[in-house]
Amino acid sequence: MLTRRTIAFAGLMFALVCLLYAESQVAVKLPLLSGSVRFAVIGDSGTGSTEQYEVARQLEAHRQVVKFDFVIMLGDNIYGGHSPDDFQRKFEVPYKPLLDAGVKFYASLGNHDDPNIERLYKPFNMNGERYYTFKRGDAQFYALDSTYMDARQLTWLEQNLRTSNARWKICYFHHPLYNDGKMHGPDLDLRNQLTPLLKSYGVNVVFSGHEHAYERLKPQGGIYYFIQGDSGKLEHHDFHRSESMQTSFDRDRTFMLVEIQGDDLHFQTVSRVGETVDSGVLSKPQETSGARAAGK
Amino acid sequence: MLIAVVLTAIAACRTGIAQKPPTAGTADAAVADDFEARVKRYLDFRQQRIGVPPKPTDNPAKILARQQEMGDKIRVARAGAKQGEIFAPAIAQYFRKQIAESFAGRYGNAIRASLAHAEPVKVELQINQSYPPNQPLQSTPPTLLLNLPELADGLEYRVLNRELVLRDAQGNVVIDYVPNALPESVK
Repeated sequence: MLTRRTIAFAGLMFALVCLLYAESQVAVKLPLLSGSVRFAVIGDSGTGSTEQYEVARQLEAHRQVVKFDFVIMLGDNIYGGHSPDDFQRKFEVPYKPLLDAGVKFYASLGNHDDPNIERLYKPFNMNGERYYTFKRGDAQFYALDSTYMDARQLTWLEQNLRTSNARWKICYFHHPLYNDGKMHGPDLDLRNQLTPLLKSYGVNVVFSGHEHAYERLKPQGGIYYFIQGDSGKLEHHDFHRSESMQTSFDRDRTFMLVEIQGDDLHFQTVSRVGETVDSGVLSKPQETSGARAAGK
Repeated sequence: MLIAVVLTAIAACRTGIAQKPPTAGTADAAVADDFEARVKRYLDFRQQRIGVPPKPTDNPAKILARQQEMGDKIRVARAGAKQGEIFAPAIAQYFRKQIAESFAGRYGNAIRASLAHAEPVKVELQINQSYPPNQPLQSTPPTLLLNLPELADGLEYRVLNRELVLRDAQGNVVIDYVPNALPESVK
């Protein structure tokens, strides 16, 4: 008969082996500095497909090492229907280990999302709003609804950007302002309306999805743009190269890990099979031209 | 709610984000006022008959059930509603004019490009129908939105085909639409 102590010991050993296994399987390129802000980024994730689950497993393996405590979602969080079963298959089950570990997800809305269901779904932390802001450490995050950028939202954004004294201002929303993908390309009208605000009020980084691939652009007007719309969906051979492209990846699904400390933002983009496809460090705006980003 | 809309509009005007309202005393101003009054009547009816949206919850079944309930109440209360009850002919014409101005303006090409890059949704529109739950929501180009009368929370404009839809977002119901709102060149 096994004693409780034996079972507890076995459980502890199993957890330790899992942790060691996870650490041996992941190659983290972030510095993991004390007191830094660490988060993950997923976009266009909610397919319920095997590939989404595989990305989710990598995400969890990396969480065990990186210890990020929140994830930002770039829209298309739930494709297709929005029944309770859909929420389970496309969110709750694949990300269960993260949710169980207390990781918070902060969703933004894509064109496949139902705003009036998802904004009320507590695990997406939208608090009933289509757009909202939150702060972690030195970074202020702005989750926007790019499917419906009306005067009210633009005014809200302007007011909140103006009054923020955060060292890093990070916007994320579904439709990319810059993008070299063939499937969708940039949303030019959104760019015309949004860019003046982002520039005027010192936004440093923008994350978007929609295009089902990964791209990092050269800074545009002093702002770093990432496209990360392939955590569930994927469009193979999606890009045509342009002057604005820094690097891209469209051969597999990915997610991003980000760490902010002081004036540096470290990032690492990881594929479904754990390969690092891009990594580097970006510096605050005044050092924009000297950004030390280095793709793998 | 009306106060919130007014305050937002004032703030938006201060920042230069919102559209300029039509000059008082003009035919456009009268039409815009008529539209505002019709929307207010709808919102009053909605508040009295439909109630408030649900609070955030962990349970999507509860959210869905409440959305369905709100949609059903709207459909029952507006049974027999026809196209044009809010977008009466003169209002529809005003909207077409505003939209045409947006397309003819300096961001016209960007609006066209944004619409062209969207995922097209082909739906035969009917008043009181639900927006099809499995279809993507067509993004509404911001420049178009900025040139249209602002709506209270819970209502929204959506572009579908060439139509401009007024949608009750909380109940997911098509309240009315402007036929052929977008220029013919937009497919």
